[in-house]
Amino acid sequence: MTERIERLLERVEKPARYTGSEMNTEVKPISETEISFAFCFPDTYEVAMSHLGMKILYDIINTLPYAVCERVCMPWVDMLKAMREENVPLFSLESRTALNRFDIVGFTLQYEMSYTNILEMLSLGNVPVKASERTDADPIVVAGGPCASNPEPLHAFIDAFMMGDGEDVIVEVVDALNDYKKRNLPRAERLKKLASIEGVYVPALYRAEYHEDGTLKAFTPTDPAAPATVKKRFVADLNATAYPETIPVPYTQIVHDRIMLEIMRGCTRGCRFCQAGMLYRPVRERSLEKLNDLAQKLVDHTGYEEISLSSLSSGDYSCLPALCEGLMERFADQRVSISLPSLRIDSVVKDSLAQTQRVKKTSLTFAPEAGTQRLRDVINKGVTEDDLRGKLKDAFEGGWNSVKLYFMMGLPTETQADLEGIAALARMAVNAYYAVPKGQRAKGLRITVSEAVFVPKPFTPFQWCAQDTMEVVRQKQQELRRLLNIQGVTFHWHDPSISSLEACFAVGDRHMADVLYRAWELGCKLDGWNDQFRYDLWMQAFRDCGIDPAFYANRPRGLEELLPWDFIDIGVTKRYLRLEYERALKAQTTKDCRQGCNGCGIERIKGLCSLCG
Amino acid sequence: MMVVFEKSLPVRYIGHLDLMRSVQRALRRSGLPIRYSNGFNPHIQLSFAAPLSVGVVGMREIMDVPVEGEPDPENFAAVLRKTLPTALKVLSARIIPDDFPTLMALVAGSELRVEIDPGVEADKVAEAFQSFMATDECVTLRRTKSGENQTNIRPFIRDGSIEQTENGYTLRCTVINKREGSLKPVVLMQALCEMAGIEAVPYFAYRDRILASGKNGTVISLEEYNHG
Repeated sequence: MTERIERLLERVEKPARYTGSEMNTEVKPISETEISFAFCFPDTYEVAMSHLGMKILYDIINTLPYAVCERVCMPWVDMLKAMREENVPLFSLESRTALNRFDIVGFTLQYEMSYTNILEMLSLGNVPVKASERTDADPIVVAGGPCASNPEPLHAFIDAFMMGDGEDVIVEVVDALNDYKKRNLPRAERLKKLASIEGVYVPALYRAEYHEDGTLKAFTPTDPAAPATVKKRFVADLNATAYPETIPVPYTQIVHDRIMLEIMRGCTRGCRFCQAGMLYRPVRERSLEKLNDLAQKLVDHTGYEEISLSSLSSGDYSCLPALCEGLMERFADQRVSISLPSLRIDSVVKDSLAQTQRVKKTSLTFAPEAGTQRLRDVINKGVTEDDLRGKLKDAFEGGWNSVKLYFMMGLPTETQADLEGIAALARMAVNAYYAVPKGQRAKGLRITVSEAVFVPKPFTPFQWCAQDTMEVVRQKQQELRRLLNIQGVTFHWHDPSISSLEACFAVGDRHMADVLYRAWELGCKLDGWNDQFRYDLWMQAFRDCGIDPAFYANRPRGLEELLPWDFIDIGVTKRYLRLEYERALKAQTTKDCRQGCNGCGIERIKGLCSLCG
Repeated sequence: MMVVFEKSLPVRYIGHLDLMRSVQRALRRSGLPIRYSNGFNPHIQLSFAAPLSVGVVGMREIMDVPVEGEPDPENFAAVLRKTLPTALKVLSARIIPDDFPTLMALVAGSELRVEIDPGVEADKVAEAFQSFMATDECVTLRRTKSGENQTNIRPFIRDGSIEQTENGYTLRCTVINKREGSLKPVVLMQALCEMAGIEAVPYFAYRDRILASGKNGTVISLEEYNHG
């Protein structure tokens, strides 16, 4: 097959996407192992190789002496076409093995717009796209990641979903399937075995029934092996769990071309629109000692020149100044810079800023999310205008000239005043820059206002909310364009049709699987890429299936309604989400859990959360 | 330190800048005594003898790595071999004096090998190459930095041969650089296909050696070039 692949490479752009052989990617030959795992990222190589979770799980599986994990990415359109023409199946980067030759095919679900790529990759890899059509000879197809928290739109294509932190459950899944492979047990038995592992959901073992109005009536297991409630998995101690000491180093530039050091998992802030903030509870930190050790090993093994301290809210890490200082000192001679993504404006960032600045000055990003204090209270973004003013002053005095401001549009209860508030904050940023005397500020002010469209996500207090219709979103975007016509300010906005589809999948049920399949049949793929997104084909798919996208995106769900994802216990309870939703409507804020337990439900699991005792 | 390495088949599509970055990263993790540039943003000033066309395998590529002091070349090569991905294999290293000319200034040409898959097209290309070697002129479209122009590519090629093998044909020739640059294998192959009246032929191109000028218009291997 190698020869045929080599011939294809001559015909496509960026062939290095498909050639592998990068540093730290030498794995055991499949023939010398007992079980093989194809880690599939349903997007292109550059995106895939920027993903931390894949590096963690790749390392964990390859550390097992009897197992091997290889990477598989979504080819770009030119390569897809060439492969179809020449009948070359989707292959792994390491050994160029066809996808259907692996024992386990695993997808990571990072965003809804990558779903068609899953179907395309299975099909191109000669794995039956529909789970019901797979035989004993086909791989077991598993999936995990944040979007697995509502697995239903993918229920027809994935054999088993893993819920929550993947470090432990993936090994249990590999071991169980290895055992059953040795005993040559049939597929149905293997799936039942998987269903008995905590945190694993096997959709074929459940039945969904619907009311006439399309809402869910009942969701029940059809086999004793399948639990009525699927419990999410947690890794209790990040210091004790595996973290790669070496990661692949691509030759070509990828999106995040640096060491990503996960300093903590989870976030205590409780922003009500944020799914990650709910899904990854409780907050768990890695120790300074562990991080220093990992950083040194990763630098030694990769030669990377930058370490990014990553987490949902790195500014909240309890020993951030000590961590930054320690790493800067350690790597000063090796010329490795330290960067902090995802800064929150209310974090203690000033000292840390000074630290990162010593090595490298990057653009600063702030995410007030909403334009007025009222709406920020609704979404529980505990940030005030004074906070923002203070941080901007620090930034501009510190020599920054480029600031990005992130907002969300269409949040529940939004009014015209909230849109005007966005413009007011942008104007305030401009004034904060000019308030710094001319000689002391960096030249060339650049303020970028980026606006995303609110998407209701499962397991958030806003899971019951409707998204604005596309017409309303477009009107609001027009209005904002007018309001943001300010010198020094650029405005970026999202395509509302993509956000609408994202909502349909985020809160979708099993019927969305039909739409997904039809859209893929019609040729939809790489939908996350603006130049490939075919909204017209998606609309045709909805029509062909007799499904109205507004049922998902623009319909407020009733508080008593059975939601498609209610059978999953992610730790935070539905009762708490509802309480938070009611508080939101009254613009009441909820305190950061670091200031005391709010009783979100995680406290039910003894000893897991360090903040709720 | 002059380092000779192989840029093997799997990494033949890695562009020059990506290759530089990969080698720089390898040097950083090697722990070898590398000299960094002075200035605000210290980096390793690597210099390659001749950038290799994307898609061509380099059997004996050459780069100059700035080092501190005089590290043992054999050990240097051994350490770097372990630090680079196996697809970039270090073959040898030797110390070159400070006043050694830049590698790029020494390059006079290269030895090119093209392995052509067997078939009717290959037979035609082999014939075309025979007639190419027998003439003085072969004008074809050549793309350069300043745009496309019609160039006589025949003077770039010296000492060509083509022989039939079990796996098709092996074409070997010496490419001599001119003031206007070098000749990419792909341009030669396109010209041969044109002459043969065919669309394209499947092949793999290899740069076997990089050459420097020797005495009396001859060429020698750049690896063995001695200054003074």
